[in-house]
Amino acid sequence: MRYLLWAVLGFLSLGIQGSISFFTVAPNLTVILACYAGIHGGEHKGLFYGSLVGMIEDSLSGALLGPGLLSKGLAGYLAAVLSGKLLVWTPFAGVVTLAALTIFDGFAVYLTRCLFHAKPSGIVAAAVAIMTQALLNLPFGIILKKKTKT
Amino acid sequence: MHRKRLLLFLFILFAFGLMTYQANRQPILPFQFLAEPLHILFNLKESAWEFVTSPFRRMLIREEENRRLMDEIMKMREERQVWEETRRENEKLRALLALKERERHYVTSARVIARGTDQWSHTLVLDKGSADGIKKDMVAVTEQGLVGKIADVRESYASLLLVTDISFSAAARLQDGRTEGILSGTGSKMCQLKYIPYDEDVKPGGIVITSGLDSLFPAGIPLGHVAKVSRKESGLFQYIEVVPSVDNTKIEVVAIIGGA
Repeated sequence: MRYLLWAVLGFLSLGIQGSISFFTVAPNLTVILACYAGIHGGEHKGLFYGSLVGMIEDSLSGALLGPGLLSKGLAGYLAAVLSGKLLVWTPFAGVVTLAALTIFDGFAVYLTRCLFHAKPSGIVAAAVAIMTQALLNLPFGIILKKKTKT
Repeated sequence: MHRKRLLLFLFILFAFGLMTYQANRQPILPFQFLAEPLHILFNLKESAWEFVTSPFRRMLIREEENRRLMDEIMKMREERQVWEETRRENEKLRALLALKERERHYVTSARVIARGTDQWSHTLVLDKGSADGIKKDMVAVTEQGLVGKIADVRESYASLLLVTDISFSAAARLQDGRTEGILSGTGSKMCQLKYIPYDEDVKPGGIVITSGLDSLFPAGIPLGHVAKVSRKESGLFQYIEVVPSVDNTKIEVVAIIGGA
């Protein structure tokens, strides 16, 4: 049941991402899911779920399998590492972490595509799009609450 | 801890290996079959959005259409009003032209610009005066009949005394019986036909015209029609009320003609 919920969430995120845009920039909601999986499930789950979502995203983009897989997997993994060991988890920490990981994800996809496929856009345009995505994801950082151990 | 790092290392290695493998080959896209349900989702979203927004959009279009039509109606009403005014003016000018051709002593036509300032006298102010050939005691007529006579003239305007004024008198005649009398204003809407003999048969509705015997008004101009006839038990003359041919509240343009 939980896996089905994750699958539905991932599918819906992809659907929403494809149908709305802010100033011609589509939001990056899948990275939120990857981070959520990392924060709540640990490194393995973050890496696995992130790479799975990334792989689907790559498949749907029709370009190359790998950039999304790598970036989302690493984002999930890093979210787990940051929330578990490095940061005292607060809503502010959530906001900063999510923004940083969104930027990391965006640039990772951009760079790997540049390296292995074709340059998707100019660096300035890419930077503006990634920063906008990070800004749009900021509020979700507050609700990425870490599970408290009892 | 080492296992996790090893897993991460292997993952990165796998990802890079995968991308390197595809660099010069066809891309491997294992989840492309999800594009179809995703497109269905997009379609559903579009349909739902259309379902929600279309009534409002239609409402806005209707409102805009309504506003446009209202503007159009207003414009058409204005045009109609202008057209109606032009038609009426045309009618009046035609009548005036006919009058000009008929009357031998035609002087000019004048527009009524005001009513007399004295509330007790029945006068009108015309927009033409001595500069246009108008003189005192000239006669003002419309196609319906006598309006009055010029009481006072200035260079560019003239004062017209109406037939209903108490100081107005004209030699008159009953069109049917040819009996002569004097038509006088009463200061009200009616006039009085005086000096009609007691035994003369006068019926309501009979037409009263100018007789021309006063050497002021040309003969044959309609003055009005008999509204009421009353005979006192004693006396020489009948009391006859006459409704003027021209309703002085509706006069806009008059023709000025010279006296008899």
